[in-house]
Amino acid sequence: MELLLTALGLILAGGLAPLPLLRRPACARIVHLVLLTAGCLAGLAALIRTWGQGIAPVFSCTWLHTLPLSLALDSLSAVFLVPVFLLAPVIALYGYHYLDRKAPVWQAGAHLFCFSLLTAAMVLVTLADNLPAFAMAWELMSLSSYLLVLYDHEHEESRKAATLYLLFTQTGALLLFIAFGLLFQATGTFAFAQWSQAPHAIKLAAFFLALAGFGSKAGILPLHIWLPHAHPAAPSHVSALMSGVMIKMGVYGLLRFYFLIDDPAPILGRTVLGLGMVSGVLGVVYALGKNDIKRLLAYSSIENIGIVLIGCGLGMVGIASGNQTMTAFGFAGGLLHMFNHALFKSLLFMGAGAVIQQTGCRHLDQLGGLMRRMPVTARTFLTGSVAIAGLPPLNGFVSEFLIYFAAFQGVRLNGPDGLLAMAAIIALALIGGLASACFTRVAGLVFLGEPRRPLPATVTEAGLSMRAAMIVLVLACLSIGLWPEPFIRLALNGLSDLALPAASQPALLGSLPGNLALATRIFLAVLLLLALCRHFIYRAKPIAQATTWGCGFTRPTARIQYTGTSYAREMVEFHRPFVKIHTTCGPISQIFPRPVRYASKVDDWAEIGLRRLLVAPILLIADKLRWIQHGHIQLYIGYIVLTIAVLLLTV
Amino acid sequence: MESVLSLGLALLLAPLFPGLILKVKALFAGKKGPPLLIKYWTLIKLLRKGSVYSTSTTFVFRLAPLVGCAAAIAVLLFFPFAGMAPVVSFHGDVIVLFYLLGLGRFFTIAAALDTGSPFEGMGAAREAFFGTLAEAAVFAVLILFFRLNGSLSLGGYFTGSQPISITGSQGALLILAVVALFMLLLAENSRVPVDDPATHLELTMIHEVMILDHSGPDLALIELGAFYKLFLYAALIADLLKPAGLAGPLANILFFYGMMAVVYLAIGVIESVTARLRMDMVPKYILTSFALVFFAIILTLEIA
Repeated sequence: MELLLTALGLILAGGLAPLPLLRRPACARIVHLVLLTAGCLAGLAALIRTWGQGIAPVFSCTWLHTLPLSLALDSLSAVFLVPVFLLAPVIALYGYHYLDRKAPVWQAGAHLFCFSLLTAAMVLVTLADNLPAFAMAWELMSLSSYLLVLYDHEHEESRKAATLYLLFTQTGALLLFIAFGLLFQATGTFAFAQWSQAPHAIKLAAFFLALAGFGSKAGILPLHIWLPHAHPAAPSHVSALMSGVMIKMGVYGLLRFYFLIDDPAPILGRTVLGLGMVSGVLGVVYALGKNDIKRLLAYSSIENIGIVLIGCGLGMVGIASGNQTMTAFGFAGGLLHMFNHALFKSLLFMGAGAVIQQTGCRHLDQLGGLMRRMPVTARTFLTGSVAIAGLPPLNGFVSEFLIYFAAFQGVRLNGPDGLLAMAAIIALALIGGLASACFTRVAGLVFLGEPRRPLPATVTEAGLSMRAAMIVLVLACLSIGLWPEPFIRLALNGLSDLALPAASQPALLGSLPGNLALATRIFLAVLLLLALCRHFIYRAKPIAQATTWGCGFTRPTARIQYTGTSYAREMVEFHRPFVKIHTTCGPISQIFPRPVRYASKVDDWAEIGLRRLLVAPILLIADKLRWIQHGHIQLYIGYIVLTIAVLLLTV
Repeated sequence: MESVLSLGLALLLAPLFPGLILKVKALFAGKKGPPLLIKYWTLIKLLRKGSVYSTSTTFVFRLAPLVGCAAAIAVLLFFPFAGMAPVVSFHGDVIVLFYLLGLGRFFTIAAALDTGSPFEGMGAAREAFFGTLAEAAVFAVLILFFRLNGSLSLGGYFTGSQPISITGSQGALLILAVVALFMLLLAENSRVPVDDPATHLELTMIHEVMILDHSGPDLALIELGAFYKLFLYAALIADLLKPAGLAGPLANILFFYGMMAVVYLAIGVIESVTARLRMDMVPKYILTSFALVFFAIILTLEIA
């Protein structure tokens, strides 16, 4: 396993080596990119070498003679390591041209360093095999990503968003450590492997605490609030790395925790499944209501985490009810969707970043018609939109299909599990339709039609490295869609080292992956045939150009185009108890009305609830306790001494 | 061979039936009406013409009719016409097929937004919303069918030893499914009471307004795709209504196309005697069909 440690070393070196070279920014970035890529390739090579060989210890030592640290690689870690190793270099490649501007030297250096650190931390999180190692890696990941969000620290909005993120991630960590503490107290060991011996009640309590802790990282509703604030504030490729890869670490933690406590209580799977449905449906509804392109993508991440959780929840229900097909398809679908989402969400954030970089605008209703100015970005974004809407022949469909299949297996179960499985099918269908609506809206408003505001002449295609990164991701999406079989096996293999040998047998899949490929190929063949016919028919036909038919209106302007707000309005209103729509509109009076202003904004139900139920009381109490904070150092020291004394006497 | 022939027959006959609807509507209005073959003549006319493209449009606008029509044809490849085995079939194919139809809708909407026309944007928004609800209702129908015979493919529903049929042991439940499917047929294929294909006011249209800018062979492709989609939904109902013990391919085919004619006649009658719903009533209409299916599903749950 030296190869994996070498990979880690190379990734970290990619963060340190550019620091002395910062006077030559291009040189520093190339060194960073090369070392990071080399590290990730080495990591992939290590994964390929050990694939399917069971649990392999990577490293272990005792730090400071007290804390044992141990890293190990098993199939679940391997499945989550693949997107880290694949996407980090591609995103760094995109960053090469994206950050092409005058920033202070130290800022660029800190950014490159934190980028490498975050990548390494994610590798460590997936490898950690005992409590101290996991806790340190988790905190390293949180802090490095916090610093990455803080890149535009001159803007107050960025600082606020970063603080909010830090608050959520540290509160989440607090809950996690309580959960870990409970299990440590019950078993007396740091090693993950022995935690399954804890009593049932402790395991259950620990699971729900961990669900909240990991859920705040993954962005499960209602703990998702930091996501739509942090993503618009961070640079786009940081959003890509965080939304595409980092929030999956929350899902990884949840799955790892679920498998290591190894508790067959049906409530675990049902809770995860229920949370997945809520996150999925409401995530996409909020995404529909947003007009800031990056905020919208952040909400769509919440939706996709919901889909991943529906898959995993179905898998857990399958374990609890002893249905192996359901287990296999649920987890395989969830894990594959995790990987797919990493690909297309990074792609979409990259496209959004290119648009924002060129136009300086992120509001949907002010963009439009960029297909002509940015053909490559537009085409890759459109492909990503089809993929994220879960439509064939792209990769999003493959994973959603597996989850559907697992849910249909569950429909046979009696009792609440059967009903939940049915609800999952309906939720998935609803999410699919709404995601389609959401992404036709984004792609249609930003890239199609006419520009809603005059575009400056400087708006052109994104830089070379940005285009290259987006094209690589499009090819990845296409290949999973067209050749799903190896990828489905890869996802299923994630279960092989866990406590379910029977559910990870590829034989359970049967001829399904092949059939899926067959169906997409049939469709593509029909499409090709029709395209040929169309080409033949259009030979020697008169083709004319004209303006769009305005239904008799002869003086159209670009401003009369349908807006994103009106496009989504009916769909958002339909879910009204869960969304708050604020509309401000001046009254129209007099015979010749004056210009009126109209604004509407869709608010997140969880955010309002949190502000009202948690933040307001805390602020109130804090205000009442202000007298404690008076500025006398000697009394502050007195507080500390008093606290320690009381703790020593009572605990 | 038999499957390919029956598919060919279906592809050939699909444009005939919408002519039947027009005929019924004309009779109700006391007019003679267009000839039965009118839709074939329309297609031929469109194929002969050239096209006018808006300067706002891009390749998406030209791609959309192809994707929509190809998706509809690909779905028919999996359909068991008149109880004959489909050309291709596998366990789970229905999910792929309804998602293929979703892909067609995605591109139709994208093409509508591509023109930059406010009317087409309005139609696109309605299509996206109503389509989403209809899709959820369709998946409820799939759950019902899965509970009835454990199959997840169009072929599996209507062929084999245990076909889903209204004359079978659980036929009473299927009455609910047939009504719901008929309601969904009207919604998904832009018929009255959801959408009016004959209206002249762009503000009130859904599907027609989205394709305002398409012309010539591109429009022909869209029309053809729409005929096939309508044919698919009607055929689902016709297969449900087929009695289980019908022997011989000829009797099957005759019964199937007879039933198809009945379904299309029913569409024509409904279009003649009802007015369209107000736009904000449409979600309730689609949710009604969903509720019907859901009720049928509840009836299949055994009391344990």
